[in-house]
Amino acid sequence: MKFGKIAATTATTAVLAIGVAACGGDSEPAKTDAPAASAAASGPKFAGQTLTVWRLGAPNDVQTKYMTDLDAKFKEQTGAEVNVQWIPWPDAQKKWTAALAGGEGPDVTEFGNDQVAAWVAQDALADITEITKSAPDFQQIPQNLWGYETIDGKIYAAPWGGGTRAVLYRKDWFDELGIQAPKTWDELVAAGKKIVEKKGKDVDGFAFNGGSDANMSLSPFVWSAGGDFAAFEGGKWVGKLTEPGFKEGFQFYTDLVAKDGVSGKGRLSQNSVDISQRFAAGKVGMYVTGGWDIATIKEQSKGKVGEDKMAFFSLPNKEGSGPAPAFQGGNDIAIWKDAKNPELAAEYLKLAAGKEFGTRYAKDGGLLPLYPDALAEYASDPVQAPFAETFKVAKGFPASPNWAEANDTKAVLQNAARAVIEGKKNVDTALADANTELETILNQQ
Amino acid sequence: MMAQTSTVARGGGNSSAPARRRSHRPPRRPSGLPNWAVPYVLLVPGLLVIAILLLYPLYQMVDMSFHKVGLRQIRPNPQPAEFLGMQNYSDVFSSDLFWTSLRNTVVFAVVTVALTLILGTLVGLLLNKLGRKMSTFLVVGIMAAWATPPTATAIIWKWLFDSDAGVVNWALNLLPDGLSTLVFGRSDWSGQPWLNAPSTIYVVLVIAVVWASFPFIAVSVLAGLKSIPSELYEAARVDGSTPAATFRKITFPLLKPVFSVLLVLSIIWDFKVFTQLYVLAGGTTNREAFNLSLWAYTEAFSAPPKMGFGAAIAVILTVIMLVITAVYVRQIVRTEADVR
Repeated sequence: MKFGKIAATTATTAVLAIGVAACGGDSEPAKTDAPAASAAASGPKFAGQTLTVWRLGAPNDVQTKYMTDLDAKFKEQTGAEVNVQWIPWPDAQKKWTAALAGGEGPDVTEFGNDQVAAWVAQDALADITEITKSAPDFQQIPQNLWGYETIDGKIYAAPWGGGTRAVLYRKDWFDELGIQAPKTWDELVAAGKKIVEKKGKDVDGFAFNGGSDANMSLSPFVWSAGGDFAAFEGGKWVGKLTEPGFKEGFQFYTDLVAKDGVSGKGRLSQNSVDISQRFAAGKVGMYVTGGWDIATIKEQSKGKVGEDKMAFFSLPNKEGSGPAPAFQGGNDIAIWKDAKNPELAAEYLKLAAGKEFGTRYAKDGGLLPLYPDALAEYASDPVQAPFAETFKVAKGFPASPNWAEANDTKAVLQNAARAVIEGKKNVDTALADANTELETILNQQ
Repeated sequence: MMAQTSTVARGGGNSSAPARRRSHRPPRRPSGLPNWAVPYVLLVPGLLVIAILLLYPLYQMVDMSFHKVGLRQIRPNPQPAEFLGMQNYSDVFSSDLFWTSLRNTVVFAVVTVALTLILGTLVGLLLNKLGRKMSTFLVVGIMAAWATPPTATAIIWKWLFDSDAGVVNWALNLLPDGLSTLVFGRSDWSGQPWLNAPSTIYVVLVIAVVWASFPFIAVSVLAGLKSIPSELYEAARVDGSTPAATFRKITFPLLKPVFSVLLVLSIIWDFKVFTQLYVLAGGTTNREAFNLSLWAYTEAFSAPPKMGFGAAIAVILTVIMLVITAVYVRQIVRTEADVR
């Protein structure tokens, strides 16, 4: 055990050293393109090769099936094997860091579209501008959906599926307790209180997310109250956390725990994965997440919480005049800059994000397809309608490469929320402090 | 060591035997190496391993702490790192997090080392009093706690202290209301969150770490106690010494070298506790609960990685531990010299 302790605590030193040591031997000379490169990848040109693909999230049956079909098709086209590795979302940042440092990474990886800028700044992704221009399928994806992926006129990832967040709730509990899907914030709190009252104190009526991806859950409240995180004005980032709209949403979000008690005080640092596990264990009534969680929860609960017991509603705005703007997320697929065979990786990217598998990726993964004709079908789908509806008013986080640091590493708003909930600071002080810190982080070079 | 010195004073025994053998060894040197070189040659493999696995990483860490190191600088085909001089260090010292992390690190180490040593010694004394069978049984039992991986330890304690389903809040609620109010100033413990505020996180952390590390102290103390000649205790008993006086006058002075070593080791272990804190604090979002290790890790490995900055924190932690260790090692050496 002592050795374990020592090992763990000196991990910093050790990993740094390994990273540096690894630099010595790995400098591959740039590959000269084989003459055959111009020939279309029709035959088993890459037979015997293996491509490493990182998928994010927890695999479930539907997604595993999707990957099996995709990889079979890929093998048919190129002859190459695919090695799929599943990385849980909250671990993704650390895995990419380790991959970059150690030089042992994926060839192709799934990406959160809001993270692309930060990782391009770290030199992690290959420029795929030429690939996207030459692939006819990609030309059908609307131009406005390439915003996160285009940096200084170059494209670094292909959009794969559009995502936004809505509230996943226990449909069977709502039916049993006679609760209607909330149409205002007051109704949301009332529903949460009723669940806590009837289902036990250790159940979160509406789970408070204060972990690494807390801002996904906080943002709909502040956006629908008219607030925002920061704006780029006059050549620098200006924090907007102290403005009334943000304050109102933040106050409501912290009150969920502090005043209304619809989420347990002992779980302030749970992220969406922790919450989904509690949901699968029957300890959560509602929380903000994406469509992909349904399949995972069903599997984790061993069928006890099945599809018939779960449903989504769009988070309402305060007065109930419509859906609150939610995080305009989405997943991308990108080529890792250290890919062993960039040409093979490009083939995979074209196949996976092309019309056939791109549309199926979105559908199977509970996301919105990016090909317009496929998206049009969604408006009439009862499960997908809340997302399609929310997607129209979706918004993004500050488009700064430093956002990841404020969002995750420094956890600025998570710490502000904790201070408010524990009564250490009032909302004004907490947000003023957070605002100063947010500006410092966003404006650093 | 002193325990050995005492055996020497009694006129021989195991500890002096090797020395005698060495001096009477017949001169045979098939290797042909000169006599003085043999120990050095034998040390080379060990030194090499230490140099590669310990000194080189240490050098890299110090070197990094003077540079601006991000991912671009450490990946294959690295870009040269920009030299910053002392800037990483001045950034560390001017950060608010440094002082809270340092306070957390030091207070935790002082409390935990004290509790571990006290509890470990008491259990060691108890084990010495027990019969052989019971003593073996207990040693095996407590060593299981010591052998539990830190992650498992932390997760177990996290569950025990869970605000809603934890056994701790349940047990506290079973206390008679009057007693609970008298001792803690409250009687309702339902939903008491232990793992939000740094103060209570550290209460749980201290318990978890003491639980896992006292067995080592207890067993070491037990081993030391076995080496104290029973004549001394018999004499004390004849003179009518109380147990406390016996401990103060006989046990403690004779075990002082053992305690010194255990103290240094405990300080080093407790100063850089990481795994348990990471698990109990629920990752790296709770900044107020950082200690220096967790802070260094967060800066170095969360996006965007600031490895130079993280390395500077790690160097500061290393220096603090080296200073403490050096002071104590000097004291141990001096004590030994005094005895001789």
